Amino acid sequence: MLSRRSLIGLVAAVVSTFAVSLPARAEMETEARAFIQKLADTAMNNVAVKGISNEDRANRFRTLFVDTFDLPEIGKLVLARHWRVATPEQQQEFLRLFEDIQVYTWTRRFKDYSGETLEILGVQPESGGDFLVDSRMLREKLEPIAVSWRVRREGDVFKVLDIKVEGASMALTHRSEYGSVIQSAGGRVDGLLQALRKKVAQLRAETLAAAN
Amino acid sequence: MRLTASLFAIALVSGCATPPPADDKEAVAEWEQVNDPLEPMNRAVFEFNTAIDKALIKPIATGYREVVPAYGRERVRDALNNLRSPIILANDILQGEPDRAMQTLMRFAFNTGFGIGGLFDVASPGGIPYHDEDFGQTFAVWGVGEGPYLVLPILGPSNPRDTSGLAVEWLSDPFNLWMDNTGRDWVVWTRTGVAGIDKRESLLDTLDEVEKSSLDYYAAVRSLYRQRRAADVKNGGGNGENSPNLNLSAVEPPAASGN
Repeated sequence: MLSRRSLIGLVAAVVSTFAVSLPARAEMETEARAFIQKLADTAMNNVAVKGISNEDRANRFRTLFVDTFDLPEIGKLVLARHWRVATPEQQQEFLRLFEDIQVYTWTRRFKDYSGETLEILGVQPESGGDFLVDSRMLREKLEPIAVSWRVRREGDVFKVLDIKVEGASMALTHRSEYGSVIQSAGGRVDGLLQALRKKVAQLRAETLAAAN
Repeated sequence: MRLTASLFAIALVSGCATPPPADDKEAVAEWEQVNDPLEPMNRAVFEFNTAIDKALIKPIATGYREVVPAYGRERVRDALNNLRSPIILANDILQGEPDRAMQTLMRFAFNTGFGIGGLFDVASPGGIPYHDEDFGQTFAVWGVGEGPYLVLPILGPSNPRDTSGLAVEWLSDPFNLWMDNTGRDWVVWTRTGVAGIDKRESLLDTLDEVEKSSLDYYAAVRSLYRQRRAADVKNGGGNGENSPNLNLSAVEPPAASGN
């Protein structure tokens, strides 16, 4: 049985938790929204601009990507159980290759963007203290695309952990895909790294060789 | 007939995937998460589908996009969507969604009437947006699990639940039944063909992107299909914590493991 005193203490604790955390959470949600808005603005005004070279665009995207995404954490989420059996060297190489794949894939996509805008719809709490910023990409003459950003507060900055496009998580898709590559390589992380190296070389050549 | 026989042969030869040993808990968890015990057979069918797609379906869809202007393709899509109304309405009702059922009904009335037989979606700009539903989603709402991942010949990614849904739809579509019963089954085949081309056209860019940027196209499509279906079942609501199998944080590695 709870004593009367401890019950009052408990109630007081609960009340004070809410009293402190509700305004704090609302503030965090506002900040998370501002963070994604700024990210989208930078992407459109700095990366998706016309008249720059492919290489320049790739560099601009890389800067934005490394700045706003928590790559080591994404690496852990994507490799999951394979992350822990990988050596530190393998982990580092994986992060480098993963970054390159994203850079060359998105550089090509951003080149073709025109007139897209991101409309932020709302923010909701996610498990693990993260936030999910729901938005949609408005396109000219095409159906809008639902995009949700999973963001985490790290110190005094926010970082993106995952993007869900029309309900499909990119981290989860990569995990499933890379897990399959590792499996077909007999469970060796090296098999994945080898495949990634090949893919990066191919994407890099295609992206940089394309007409500016 | 020959096609069916050779597919059956592929299925027999390739058989099932081998599950990991039961004492490797993490490998078992991954196996369950991937949910693809028929992977060798599925991969064979996927390869077959990809070959047919490259040789036939994709060129037709690309040609359709190049030849028919966007305005024309919109009319086709609006008409196809309108024809689906009875199926969507039935599923709205079976899922216990009266508001969405009412939307579907109003859309059907407006678009069939003012939209000249459905050619023009006048309801969307009027504030009643289109939504799709199918029997696979209804079964899911009723608590039927998806079952193992399944790649169907030509039709592509599916599972037993969604395949059953598709079968029910084919058997119950009122428009098709009407055409069939009045000896105009060519209309049914034309509709099915046009719907297939419209669908493939809508996926041209997405699938190209996935194929180009993935290391394992099959595995990427499998994951995307399952996640999209889970999101469809929830009608796009919720915060993505849909099923434990598709939850990013639920399968995060434990902080420390004793191996």
